[in-house]
Amino acid sequence: MNARRIAIVAKKELFGLSSEKTIVFAILLQVFIAMFSSFLMVGLTAMYDPEAIEGYSTITYGVGYAGADSALIDEFEKRDDLVLHRMDLDVALVALRDRAVAAVVYVPDTPPDAEEPVTVTLYLIHNDLQSSVINVKVKEALQGYEKELREVRADRMTSFPVRLNFPESGSGENFFEFVYGLLIPLLALLPAIVSAALIIDLITEEYQRQTLETLISTPVTFAEMVWGKIAACEVLVPIQAGVWFLLLGANGIAVDNAAAILLHVSVGGLFLILLGALVALYYRERTSAQFIFSTALVVVFLLVMAVPYNPLNLMVRLAVDTAGPVHWLILALVAGATAVLGWITTVYARRIGEAAPPVR
Amino acid sequence: MSLATSIRTIAVWEINRSMTTMGRNILPLAAGLLILLVLVTVFAAQSGVHMQDGMYRIGIDDPDVARIVAPDSRFAAYLDSGPALWENRFAYDIVIMNGEVYAADTDKGRAALKTLERDYETYVSYVAAGEPDLFAAYPLWIDLQYIKSEIDFLATQSGQQVGAPAGARVPPTPSGPVEAVTLPPSAMPVSEDDLREHLEIGGGHPLKRYTGIISGDSAMDRLRTPSELSAPLPFDAIVLVFVFIFPLYFTSQFFMMSVMNERVGRAGEALLSTPIRASAIVVGKALPYFTIMLLIVAAITLFAGAPLTILLPLIPVILFFLANALIIGMAARSFKELSFVSIFFSTLATSYLFFPTVFANTHIISIISPLTLVVLEIQGDGFTAMEFVYSTALFFATSIILFYVGTVNFREERLFSEKPLASRLMDFISGGISRSHPHLSLSLLAAFTIPFVFMVQMMTLILFFNIPMPLSLVLLTVSAAFIEEFAKSIGLYAVARERPGFLTVRNLLLGAAAIGLGFLIGEKLLLFVTLAQITESIFGSVLFLSLQVLWMPLLLHIAGVLITGGFLLLWGRRAYGPGLVVASVVHSLYNLHFLSGALL
Repeated sequence: MNARRIAIVAKKELFGLSSEKTIVFAILLQVFIAMFSSFLMVGLTAMYDPEAIEGYSTITYGVGYAGADSALIDEFEKRDDLVLHRMDLDVALVALRDRAVAAVVYVPDTPPDAEEPVTVTLYLIHNDLQSSVINVKVKEALQGYEKELREVRADRMTSFPVRLNFPESGSGENFFEFVYGLLIPLLALLPAIVSAALIIDLITEEYQRQTLETLISTPVTFAEMVWGKIAACEVLVPIQAGVWFLLLGANGIAVDNAAAILLHVSVGGLFLILLGALVALYYRERTSAQFIFSTALVVVFLLVMAVPYNPLNLMVRLAVDTAGPVHWLILALVAGATAVLGWITTVYARRIGEAAPPVR
Repeated sequence: MSLATSIRTIAVWEINRSMTTMGRNILPLAAGLLILLVLVTVFAAQSGVHMQDGMYRIGIDDPDVARIVAPDSRFAAYLDSGPALWENRFAYDIVIMNGEVYAADTDKGRAALKTLERDYETYVSYVAAGEPDLFAAYPLWIDLQYIKSEIDFLATQSGQQVGAPAGARVPPTPSGPVEAVTLPPSAMPVSEDDLREHLEIGGGHPLKRYTGIISGDSAMDRLRTPSELSAPLPFDAIVLVFVFIFPLYFTSQFFMMSVMNERVGRAGEALLSTPIRASAIVVGKALPYFTIMLLIVAAITLFAGAPLTILLPLIPVILFFLANALIIGMAARSFKELSFVSIFFSTLATSYLFFPTVFANTHIISIISPLTLVVLEIQGDGFTAMEFVYSTALFFATSIILFYVGTVNFREERLFSEKPLASRLMDFISGGISRSHPHLSLSLLAAFTIPFVFMVQMMTLILFFNIPMPLSLVLLTVSAAFIEEFAKSIGLYAVARERPGFLTVRNLLLGAAAIGLGFLIGEKLLLFVTLAQITESIFGSVLFLSLQVLWMPLLLHIAGVLITGGFLLLWGRRAYGPGLVVASVVHSLYNLHFLSGALL
């Protein structure tokens, strides 16, 4: 194995990537996925619930109230974002269908201290984003009513929960968990997956286009060629992930311990790339290799996610700065597994290289 | 040989070949991986997902309180004495002392507090569920009923938000006739034991909701306690995307690879030298994959117990995936290009299918995605023939055109050339332009681009229609103009590239007139068939402004091509980009002028 020759092969592959501009598509793809997931979480919620961003209520929703008087009316009056309209149920339902009110509640005349429960009927618009927002608001009013009913019936209870007093928390959704618990590991990982898919294409292409003989006729050995390709793919991983973190930083999302996360991503990425390389060397044909690899990828990810202290979890912990020194231990373990895989790849590639037909 | 027999020959050959190249090698490993997958899934189901473990640090002075947060792995809990906690309070996101909760004044602290509040709710309900008198602990039950309502597409016209009805303070008066409804019964329809069981299992389990999408719900599922009223994310479509679209995408990959394999090392040369027509080859190769995809979807449908009519809107989707696979397989230069281009376009296509479905039941625009029809059909609402045409016409049209382009170019000199992606696509386009009647071809080409233009414009419409009003209109106008100018000039550019001598002043004038006319005809034809509902809204008038008077848009279309063509003629191919920008600006100004006239 000669490092200089590996570098030459790697350079050639990187040059090929940049001349084909495929990497542009890869990056566009990642941007699109990030946009897509953020749109789902942040965009849709924000669109329909301005409070999610602003933190204070500007919009009031009308709620139709039908049926008997109850303490629920007081609960609604405590809120300034819900306005109660007393109306008949049939009229209220037509108004709901017209979207003149956002929800309708019907309260039966069950007395608060009755044996049986109070069954309130809540009408919402089916499968609608607005219903999700109104649901949260009505839920809080109903919980207040439930608390009141529980107090009325308290003498029938036998056990009581530990009491906790919560400080007044601002209303509105908080996207911290989504950004740090999902988006950041996703963005860190996408480059690794892209690179792993890339190595399969690079290796199977040599086989299917029968360009191997030309390559082997140069002083570069087969194993060096494989490692050159692996190096080219691996280089892309931390670069892309690093750019993501810079972009996140520019958007005001600070990622702690970025360097440590990049280390984890690089090692994990190398593991996936080696896995892809082995599959590609075995099948030498793109369709089969990609099929097997993508199935294997699902297995690996399910397994990794199910284990506590997995690298993805460590990335989350590192990003929010709650990871202890234990992450170095996990990094060492993953690096060890990667080294074993690397050794297998080298041995396998050497064997293939020796079995290859002599240069004509 | 007749066309049908040759198609059959090719299809049989395709099946045999893919079985022999792939089947034997892959099956053992695939079976092993499948078993592993099942094992890992079982393991993951037991162990849970450990993605967000230990995100928050919480300091607690009471072991009883610590037990509340113990089930939530997002919290790393530290037990310590009160004074020690207070001293190190900045190391924690939340500190609980003497039953008082203190949260750090950071985003993280607030997020931790929200999570803790939810955990506390769960804990309180857990305690209450053990009560002997269930209706003392759970005195309030909510019967959730959903009402269907579709808002008019014109709702956004006045710039109001879709979310909140205006003037909520004023009691509403019903617009239509009021039907009498029977009042819901006040008695609990379900027995106490069932309710207790429901509480113990946790009726609000997120997965349950997704299995319920297809299977429907009972009276028990509608009954909840107030704390179980979780906001339902109206994203049934996500599940449908996973269930239906991913298998389709995956299978189309095999077709793409089969096309690509014909080109690798000129393997398809033998096939091309046979007297079989290119159309028979393309259809014959696609047929097995089409059948497999249809079978997969049918199997999923039967398995889920959904009506088989949902296959109808999925057929154009299958065709669309196959058509794209054909073109990408024919155009990609290398495997890596194939991978990235195909993943990129399938993501785009999936989002085109997915975004509108979010507004199913809400908004008429959702019908532009065939998946919405699937949602409607599963809900039991069904769809009309008109809606079917409306949502699938673009898919059928684009698929047919793409298949046509693929067939025309399924020739040796196109398949085996080593040019970059963009210029190969240009070759495909110029391949469709006849040498003897270039202007007629240009005109037809312009008409054929219309379905693609509409598709892309629909995409921008979906992306922009929730942005506040003036901005969304401007964005929409500019992007619509750019897309149209690009589509109109692409043919001219392709010809100018292939035959530099073609672009004379006379030919430019003639070509521009032909393209303008073709574009207009195509636009009108498709609009009348399908998009009447959208064109009536303000957004429609932005996209399809050019329909009111005929000669004005014709002149506009011709002028746009003339500008781009003029740039090409004067400064060569490098000026294509600037020419396109200038033409789009002119086009946008025209649209904005008319629009502001219409708005004032």
